[in-house]
This record gives sequence, structure tokens and C-alpha cells, in this order.
Amino acid sequence: MTRLVEIEVSHDLLERARRGDQRAQAEIYAAVASTTFALIRRLVGHRTIAEDLFQDTMMTLYERLTEYRGEAPLGAWLRQIAISKCLMFLRSPWQRARMRLEGMCTEDAQTHGPALLATPAPREESFDVERALASLSPTARAVIWLYEVEGYSHQEIARCFGRSISFSKSQLARAHARLREWFEPNGGGQACTPI
Amino acid sequence: MHTDLERMKRIAQRLRALPGEEPQPYGWEEFKRRAREQMEPRTRGVNQRYAAIAAALLVLVAGAAVWSRFTRSDASSHMHESQLAHVRAATVEGAVNSADTRVEVGERWLASLPKEPVVVRVGTRAAVTDLEDRIAEVDDLLTDETVDGGQPARLHLLEQERARLLNSLVEVRYAETLAAASR
Repeated sequence: MTRLVEIEVSHDLLERARRGDQRAQAEIYAAVASTTFALIRRLVGHRTIAEDLFQDTMMTLYERLTEYRGEAPLGAWLRQIAISKCLMFLRSPWQRARMRLEGMCTEDAQTHGPALLATPAPREESFDVERALASLSPTARAVIWLYEVEGYSHQEIARCFGRSISFSKSQLARAHARLREWFEPNGGGQACTPI
Repeated sequence: MHTDLERMKRIAQRLRALPGEEPQPYGWEEFKRRAREQMEPRTRGVNQRYAAIAAALLVLVAGAAVWSRFTRSDASSHMHESQLAHVRAATVEGAVNSADTRVEVGERWLASLPKEPVVVRVGTRAAVTDLEDRIAEVDDLLTDETVDGGQPARLHLLEQERARLLNSLVEVRYAETLAAASR
């Protein structure tokens, strides 16, 4: 299973893309688009918003390609861009206000969460995990994903969110508690209600 | 019997087992088309900025000419103030009485403003950022409480706190808008 952070492209391809070669840029797009989109969608949940952020992320990639020094794989660099776009979105009260007004945040993530996060042909297990993730608040979802899957430390998460380390720890604990309720409804006391 | 640590590990494993890829939302050609669409307003924005500067210079010259003939007239600034006061009255204190509606109107007004004023003042920016962060924090708590089916009294308290913070944000942004208009 490929993760964005593992994706590398050849030096030659990179050079051509930097010079504006459309075919090279298209090749890079084909190499990173599916993993980038998957990461963004996991972090923000909502597919339409994920598409906007994906577009933004890819545009930034091509605009700043000349700044990429090749010290880490291209995927790792792109991951930074994508995560920073997602967190900017999640932190923005303007977006929150819009989401509240449009009833997107709570209704979509909670009532229709499973449908929003559904992949075209999900396996049972992954579909269940998708449903569980969708039941989390956007911040808790982002924190648990960054910590458990992307390997961020609490310090890094705190820096990304512009908050304290204890914020990251408490969000992670809450997310774990919530997911535990989801996966083991009878094991943790309070029964899980499908949302 | 599982320990908490084991449970956390199992959850982490389940998350890591999710597919790291999924079909890209659209192909390269569509990406380029969307990118072009997004770039156009940016270019137009730059042109508009030059036009705005030219218009401002023109107004300045005209203003100087008028100044030489008459004493200072505050008519235009009064007009600005009255317009803004009208906005404020409509959004914050106007005919709306219920706190919920006021919050909603405040949010709409805030959402209609640009994210940042043209001229950024460090003092007010810090206050705005702080208030925005605190609103985001209360939003998180509200989401958690709602998801967990929290107590109505606690939800009410959080809603009240959110409304209070939002009103403060409206006040600060309003002050920023006034300062920008009087410039």
C-alpha cells in the first residue's frame, strides 16, 4: 500500500517539470494525485471540500516546484503542503461559520458521514473504519490521523495547529475513546449510537 | 481482557490498514482547466488593483482641488460612517432580538468580510486571531458534546460562550472596518 510520503520521482522528471514540460508535470500528477487526494479526504472528511483543497495543493506544488530541494522524497514535501492546507481550512473560523450556516459540518460528518467517506468499492473492514472516522469531530479526526498514521509527534501536531502539546494529547485521547466505543460498543461502558 | 494500550494499538492498526490511495477526483486535463479558471480571477485582481490605485489617485487630485475651494467637508466620511452604522445596526443590535438570530446574523456579516483587512494592524489582528482561536475551541467542544449527546445545560453554556465570543469578534472587526473606511 503506497503512502504519499513514500513517493519519489526521478531527478530528470523533476527537472523537466520545473522547466514547464507539460508531459512531465502530467506524469508527476499521475504519480501523486490518488495518494494526495486520499490524505486530504481523510483529514477533512467532506469530498467536495477535499476536491477544492486537492486542487489548491496541486497548484501550490507546481507553483513552488522550483523551491523543492530534493532533500526528502517529493511525496513528503507534498504531504507538508497538503496537511498545511487542510489544517488552515480546519482552523479557519470563516470556514467553520460557513459550514455551520450550511449545516455541512455536523450533518454531513455525522448524519451522512459514512456516505461521504465511502470509497467506490469499500471492503467491509475499511468501510467500518471510515464510518468510525466520520463520527469524530474534524479536529479529532485530523489529530488521530496525523499521529497514528502519518507519524507526527504531539509537538509537531501542536505546532501545526498553533496550539499546546496538551491540546494534541487530549484530542488524541478523545478520538481514541470515541473509536473504542465504536469498535467495542459493549467493552467500554457507554454503548455506541450509530450517528 | 484488553488493556487500554492494546486497544489503542489495535485502533492505530485499523487506521493504518485503510487504503492510502483512492481514485483521483479528476485527471490532468481537468486539473489544468480548473487551474486556469482559478488563475483568471487572480490576474483580473491584479488589474483591478492597478485600476483601484489609479482611481484613488484621481480622487486624491479631485479632493485637493475641492479642498482649495471649500473648507473641509466631512460629508463623505459621514456617509461612510452612517453606512457602517447601518450595517452594524442591522447585524448586531438592529431589529433582531433573539440571541440565536443575532449570532447567525453576526456570522453572516463576518463571513461576508474579507479574511483580513487591507491594512493589518498588529494590535487588532492579535485580538482577532485570539478570538478566532477561542471560537474554534468552543466549536470543538460543542461538536464533541453534541456527538456524545451532552447535557442540555452544558450545551447551552457553550452556546452562550460562543455567542459572547462571536459578538466580541464582530465588535473588533467592526472597529477594523471603521478604521479602514475613515482612512
